[in-house]
Amino acid sequence: MTGLAITSEAIVVMTGALVASGVLIGLGFWFSRIVLSVDEPSKRQSAGEFVLAFFVNKAREIAHGENRQRIIETVAPLLATFFLFIFVCNLIGVLPIPVFNRPPTSHFSVTLSLAMCSVIGTLLAAAAFKGPLATLKHLVWPNPMQWVSEVTDVMSLSLRLFGNIAGEFMTVTLVMQVVPYGIPLILHALGLIPAFVQALVFTLLTSSFIADALHEQKRRPKRTKAGQPVDAMPSTTHAEGGFAQ
Amino acid sequence: MNGVLLALVTVLPIAIGAAVAAFAMKQISTSAIDGMTRQPEIAPQLFTAMLIGMALVEALCIYTLVVTLVMANNLG
Repeated sequence: MTGLAITSEAIVVMTGALVASGVLIGLGFWFSRIVLSVDEPSKRQSAGEFVLAFFVNKAREIAHGENRQRIIETVAPLLATFFLFIFVCNLIGVLPIPVFNRPPTSHFSVTLSLAMCSVIGTLLAAAAFKGPLATLKHLVWPNPMQWVSEVTDVMSLSLRLFGNIAGEFMTVTLVMQVVPYGIPLILHALGLIPAFVQALVFTLLTSSFIADALHEQKRRPKRTKAGQPVDAMPSTTHAEGGFAQ
Repeated sequence: MNGVLLALVTVLPIAIGAAVAAFAMKQISTSAIDGMTRQPEIAPQLFTAMLIGMALVEALCIYTLVVTLVMANNLG
């Protein structure tokens, strides 16, 4: 929560984020050089397909309507990027390097920018698939304060990730000052669980935001076709908006 | 005096917040496990819903942690 100054903390965090990006880009190149085969898939191909299938299935769950394929092709890489980047960033904490083993996600600026990417990406996806006007209308209709939910989404996403990872990092650091050997290993092993779960939660919440932003337009015409009164619509959409937080 | 004040405004809120969040999480996980044992075929969907619910509960606890950290920074 420092200002714009380049502090040593910021340098550590930026190095960590760069290392994480470098690891992911390297893995991407390594995986892209597989000889693909249907009959005898290599181990690398199976592993890559396992990861890819998870995100494609997630995107398939939230995509409906006529441009379903395009939604899947847009959303799946976004979700995969969020998950892999946050996961690798969280794992930097277990590296046995003295100063640089601070997870970048334990700095609020990193999680805030990730959360802003998520929410702005959601709005952009909604603008691309529903039209910009419908997206803007969704921000102020039926509830004129609907746009507040986007701001609170940013706050809750970023604070959740930051709190979890920073809390775990602080605990390990404090314990390490008291007992430098043995116990921190157990804490690191336990820390792998929140590292995975928080990356997954960030991804799942992003996918549910995107699903909420995309689905509204599909449901509305269905209800009016069914002959229900127009007055019934705002209350239902309002309930959905409330759930999105 | 300062130590007592620090304890009151930092340690007590995070303790209460964590306890209440733990209670809510217990409720969520119990219900989810109940559902999963009754209908194992929808276990993945229930697991996803459980994770999202837990994340929403946990966010409240994290807000307490953040407020606590800010208070601790301001006080000393």
